[in-house]
Amino acid sequence: MSREQYQIPTGSQQTFTGGAGNTAATTSREFDTGIMYYTCGDCAARVPLEKGAGIRCQKCGARVLYKERTKRMVQFEAR
Amino acid sequence: MPRKQPTEEELERRKIVGVNAETVTDVTSTDFPGNWPGEDYAWDIKKIIRDTKIEFHQNEPAEASFSLIGVDASIANAFRRIMIADIPTIAIEKVFIDNNTSVIQDEVLAHRLGLIPFTGGREGLDNFMRWLPKPKDNEPIESTYFDYNTISLELRVTCTHNPNAAEDEKDPRKLYNHAHVYAKDIVFMPVGRQVKYFAGENAIRPVNPDILIAKLRPGQQIDLSMIMHKGVGSDHAKFSPVATASYRLLPTITILRPILGRDAENFAKCFPQGVIRLEKVTKAEAAREGSGYEGHASELKAVVVNPMLDTVSRECLRHDEFKEKVKLGRERDHFIFNIESTGQWESDAIFLASIAHLKEKARKLEQQVVDMVR
Ligand SMILES: [Zn+2]
Repeated sequence: MSREQYQIPTGSQQTFTGGAGNTAATTSREFDTGIMYYTCGDCAARVPLEKGAGIRCQKCGARVLYKERTKRMVQFEAR
Repeated sequence: MPRKQPTEEELERRKIVGVNAETVTDVTSTDFPGNWPGEDYAWDIKKIIRDTKIEFHQNEPAEASFSLIGVDASIANAFRRIMIADIPTIAIEKVFIDNNTSVIQDEVLAHRLGLIPFTGGREGLDNFMRWLPKPKDNEPIESTYFDYNTISLELRVTCTHNPNAAEDEKDPRKLYNHAHVYAKDIVFMPVGRQVKYFAGENAIRPVNPDILIAKLRPGQQIDLSMIMHKGVGSDHAKFSPVATASYRLLPTITILRPILGRDAENFAKCFPQGVIRLEKVTKAEAAREGSGYEGHASELKAVVVNPMLDTVSRECLRHDEFKEKVKLGRERDHFIFNIESTGQWESDAIFLASIAHLKEKARKLEQQVVDMVR
């Protein structure tokens, strides 16, 4: 539950915390390589995409990919 | 000049609210000072103690029904409103969602979680748990979180395929693990002295473990933590200790002239079962002049046995054969309360707490009046 200022995640960004500790760590590593992960709309596989790569699932070839949910904790009021 | 004091009958008549086919009459009370010449209705604690009665009809933890007799509507309504809006309970107030890939949206999920009624050890809830204080300026809200005002909960569920399911299985609850997320999947995370106050059977837990929170499919996950605080219904309905707290006035049914034979049977059908009973006209009644029963010995007559069961549908007023024979009404100072608890309190305890709360409010008002005069 860190309350740091919101920082726009960029490829070079190293200090990216928030959410559960280990997921945040993987996230920053993923950012380092410039690879973004997406979810395949057909087979639900986790698809890594590099910048400029064709939007296509490597497993099944589907062309619909979904953006992953944020790894950060999101706070809501239960009202 | 001394005035004639009203008779018992007159006093009874003044208490009745008239219920007619199209209108309702005499809705306001008249027993206050200066209304009836020569009659003193000054506030008197002895009179209130003597005249006020409480009779329980049903008293179970989840539902209580009782009559509060001899008080003004303002007092009865104060109790009702205090029960709904001022008796505190604990409820989920903040939801920290780490992951939610279910089809139910984060904010809807958080709202649903907030509405789940929880319970726990009475000692801990009543005496240990306190209000969450407002944080001081420029201090984060967490600075006021302590074991005596904040309860932590977690809900971490992932749905997976069930490898042991039969091949032709259609029921998602057997086909997958954790296809349904229930209130019982919420885990209480005690901190500090909560370990002592909410141990074993006193643990903080949902009142109804089988409340369905969400449905999942394999690969979907709900991963969140929550905090609860004490609150009151005037802030949000989720804090209200009651599902319903309501009252109605006792119905009265007065048969003015005998209703006999087939008419009596039809008359009984105008009311819910148990309100009207059919009895045989006795020889003595038939022999009495002017009773209206002359020559009707051993015929059936309609007798009111339990007006409390009446819903006051006024059906009997729609039929010409009962015209001028029946008068419907309600007793203005007889309140039939019905209280359904959501489970954190016992139903009768909510009413007792509302009395204590009203007393406390009066005490505070008295102090303020004293301060004002000073
Ligand atoms: Zn795919």
